[in-house]
Amino acid sequence: MRTSSLLALLASLVFVTAAEDGAQVYNTLCVACHGPDGKGLNGLPPLVGSDWPKGPAARSIKIVLSGMEGPVEVAGKTYNIVMPPQGAVLSDEKIAAALTYVRKAFAGGAGAVTPDEVKVVRAATAQRTTPWTAEELLKDHPFPPAKTALKNLVGTMYKGEWKVMPDFSTLKPALMEDFNVGVIDPDQSGLKDAFAMVWTGQFDAPADGKYTFLFDCDDFGALYVGGERIAEVKGIGPVGGRAKEVPVILKKGLTPLRVEYVEFAGQEVVVLGYKGPKDKDYKWLSKAKGGKAGKAAKPRVFIPIQPKDGVAAIYRNFIDKITPRAIGIGFPNGLNIAYSADNLAAELFWNGKFMDGGHHWTDRGAGNEPPAGTNVIKLSDGQGVLLEGVAGDVVRYVREKGKEEKEWKFSAIKVAAEFKGYDLDKAGNPTFRSAGEGFALTDAWLPEEYSGKASLTRSLKVTGAKAVTIVLARDLAVSGPSDGVSEIAGGLLVRAVSGPAPKTNANDKSLTLTLKPGETAVLGYSFR
Amino acid sequence: MKKLSLILALAGLAVGVSAAPAAPAKAAKAAKAAKSGKLATVDSIRVAEARQSDFYERVEIPTPAGEVTEVSSIALLPGKKVAIGTRRGDIWVAEGAYDADLSKIKWTKYASNQHEPLGMFWKEGSMYAMQRPELTRLTDRDGDGRADSFDTVSSQWGVSGDYHEYAFGSDPDKNGDVWMVLCLTGSFHAHAPWRGWAAKITPEGKFIPVASGIRSPGGIGANDKGDFFYTDNQGVWNGSSSLKWLRAGSFQGNPTGNKSAALANFPTPPEPTSGSRTLAERLKFPEYVPPALILPHGKVGNSPSGVACDMSKGKFGPWESHMLIGEQTASQVQRANLEVVNGLYQGAVFHFLGGFEAGLIPVRMDQEDGTLFVGGSNRGWGSRGSKNFTFERVRFKGKVPFEMHAISARNDGFEVTFTHPVDAAAAADVANYSMDTFTYIYQSSYGSPEVDQTTPTVKSATVSADGLKVRLIVDGLVRGNVHHLVLGDIKSKAGETLWHSEGWYTLNEIPAAK
Repeated sequence: MRTSSLLALLASLVFVTAAEDGAQVYNTLCVACHGPDGKGLNGLPPLVGSDWPKGPAARSIKIVLSGMEGPVEVAGKTYNIVMPPQGAVLSDEKIAAALTYVRKAFAGGAGAVTPDEVKVVRAATAQRTTPWTAEELLKDHPFPPAKTALKNLVGTMYKGEWKVMPDFSTLKPALMEDFNVGVIDPDQSGLKDAFAMVWTGQFDAPADGKYTFLFDCDDFGALYVGGERIAEVKGIGPVGGRAKEVPVILKKGLTPLRVEYVEFAGQEVVVLGYKGPKDKDYKWLSKAKGGKAGKAAKPRVFIPIQPKDGVAAIYRNFIDKITPRAIGIGFPNGLNIAYSADNLAAELFWNGKFMDGGHHWTDRGAGNEPPAGTNVIKLSDGQGVLLEGVAGDVVRYVREKGKEEKEWKFSAIKVAAEFKGYDLDKAGNPTFRSAGEGFALTDAWLPEEYSGKASLTRSLKVTGAKAVTIVLARDLAVSGPSDGVSEIAGGLLVRAVSGPAPKTNANDKSLTLTLKPGETAVLGYSFR
Repeated sequence: MKKLSLILALAGLAVGVSAAPAAPAKAAKAAKAAKSGKLATVDSIRVAEARQSDFYERVEIPTPAGEVTEVSSIALLPGKKVAIGTRRGDIWVAEGAYDADLSKIKWTKYASNQHEPLGMFWKEGSMYAMQRPELTRLTDRDGDGRADSFDTVSSQWGVSGDYHEYAFGSDPDKNGDVWMVLCLTGSFHAHAPWRGWAAKITPEGKFIPVASGIRSPGGIGANDKGDFFYTDNQGVWNGSSSLKWLRAGSFQGNPTGNKSAALANFPTPPEPTSGSRTLAERLKFPEYVPPALILPHGKVGNSPSGVACDMSKGKFGPWESHMLIGEQTASQVQRANLEVVNGLYQGAVFHFLGGFEAGLIPVRMDQEDGTLFVGGSNRGWGSRGSKNFTFERVRFKGKVPFEMHAISARNDGFEVTFTHPVDAAAAADVANYSMDTFTYIYQSSYGSPEVDQTTPTVKSATVSADGLKVRLIVDGLVRGNVHHLVLGDIKSKAGETLWHSEGWYTLNEIPAAK
């Protein structure tokens, strides 16, 4: 027993300075997301194959101290999640040990991190209260310039406005520069809009064989390999639809390569990639990646949410341009609405595709999802059910608008009515219900056809003892009614079918409907 | 074990002895290491999980084919039906989830695309679902198996549209009120009214705020006395994750949502001092209720979730009135005994069930039958279980594991109860008990290291006549600290070894001498 206590004592002495402590920190706190092998658990960012843990220690230390959030590209894949800060949990020694372990085990022997380095960064970032974004970190600690297959790259800039490819031999360059990086990037020009740029250099083919080049740009350009123009993107427009993929047979060694690029206005993007004889995926010679066929393009999952078998689809989630309590309904005839259960109003109207669940149903599901279809009309904002001359008796807790967060005030306000729910018929068609002191309102929607066009029939009914005004549209160009038809936002037609008819109010550019107790109004909605 | 061998190897090198003499000492050293409390590792948990099937049967329940069912809620229906709610917002009802042959399970879709229900129960022919924007009563009026009427029971809290603004709901209490906890906006903000609050909703839909100071809940549930508890995750003002008691009128520690108090004439919650300790601040502010149970970060888990109380009268094992706490990151269920001392809840947490297939979110006990249903997902937050989502059931096989049943505080130490009579000789040896204590900094930054560590001395261990209790006299109890008890080589009278050998007791209050 004495021997073993002595061993234990010695072991603990050795242990203090060993990197094993870093492994323990890693296996307690980091392993849950990054995995025991550093490859990332269950779709979370890996450390193996990532540039992030390499290079300047300060970048890694900042991430561990204050955390990281927002979109970040790791090993060719884009993530958008939060790494929680550990600065308040871990001592300088533990952070240094954990990072040393990570850099040794997963980052190909990047150098050790000392507690002093952590201490310095901790002091320098003491005021930091929110996690870092990738953009902030890379601004201060950029990745080293990538070594690519492009050698001796020289860029020449030209100022001017062109809608077709100019003859560069007749133009006077504004500037010419050597780049020690083999990466094509329009930002190297330092210009925005109305310029052109030509890059010349050599493509270093690692072996004989077939090479496929992917070329794309915003706005237009041409790619020359071995003195021959192999691809051209014509006209004014974004990347994506016009990308060119061209195979070329090359010998091992250097081949001249030239890119001509013209930016008319808007985004500045050049995409240039290649696949060698043994490559499965494109390797990028430009800062921008992807394009139509680019395998390294951001993985984007589409999960279409559509009516099925003649039954309307529903989507309760955060929908763009409407309050958080949104209820989307996609009708089988291709018309869609989003109802605000905060404002008691059908606030969005569109046609075509209903919704895409690809953002909310992957990762943490952050953000508002815009309607997936077309002709999205924002019908109104604010309270959709009003009483004559009084605010109402229903208490709602709201945040008053203020520019800065510290100026925001919460308050209890009184409104006419609150949301009571909805019923769905067998075909999924909704009847929204709301009520206030002394009255109730139902708001039913059915898909129908009108004059050969898709239409929604809306029936509004008030019961109880009070007259109610329903806001159908507000702050929009409303014309009519003529022959019982009003037109909203230059395209959406609202026709009075039966019961009280909507009224146009010029002063707040609104279309409203007032119903007395027991009255029902039926309206038809269709696009012009 | 790996770490230990490496230490031995290093030690061997350091003193120039060969590995051979060290090997026989290995077992003894393992026990010693266990005693020193340094073995709360993934390895020791895996060893325990490997024995789980001796006592509990864990079965994956097939979910609807081709559907993504990231289980966020579980409700029990009459006629042995079980419903799951998913993060995508679907609600499915299963027939046959209790059966031995699960291949015949039948799923019916009750509702589609609701807004991330986190808390569901069945009452008087309707499903109730706590969604982000509202508590909803869903009813199938025409009897076709699908809900057709969706009544908004209450929607009085603010929602800013941030993905982190989760709302967790409980089963109704004896008055029919549903308790809910509202997550902050992300970690640092309250961008809408009542974020960071607990409230109850009466059957008439009245929204009554009951407690402030909440950060990021993972679940809510009541104990056998009808008191409500929720899990709150490590982060700002939370040095470690914990189980917290929602005493009416209480402050739970995070002041981010305090400004909502004025909306409903709720007394202004405390503005605690950052860098202090929970004990110091709660003595200053009597409304600050300290965590009933600290779940030490990284040791017990990383992200606690659903809460259930075992009231199955032994059908799930001898844990009547114990709390079962889900754990998302480690894909586990922990077990805890609670007691009230000087008006505050406190108690001990133990590792319990593990090996689940995804990060656990809801935990639901069928008290009649003793079946524990769990479900979960690892979307957005990683978990040890590697499937994207899971729905599982756990049943007691009838063989009671040899375990510490509970730890209870005494004026001068603790009383540890066991599930089987202990072997008195080993259990009376103080060398078989080691204790260390620690707490966390109570601060506005994210999490905390363990601080204020002490090592109390176990002075005596007295075994009761029936062998089921050991009374420990401990020198150096620290009010406010977590007391980590590690048992050494204690066996049952029948020779069984302990399934789990550690417990963590949150000593909010030291009881008076009787």
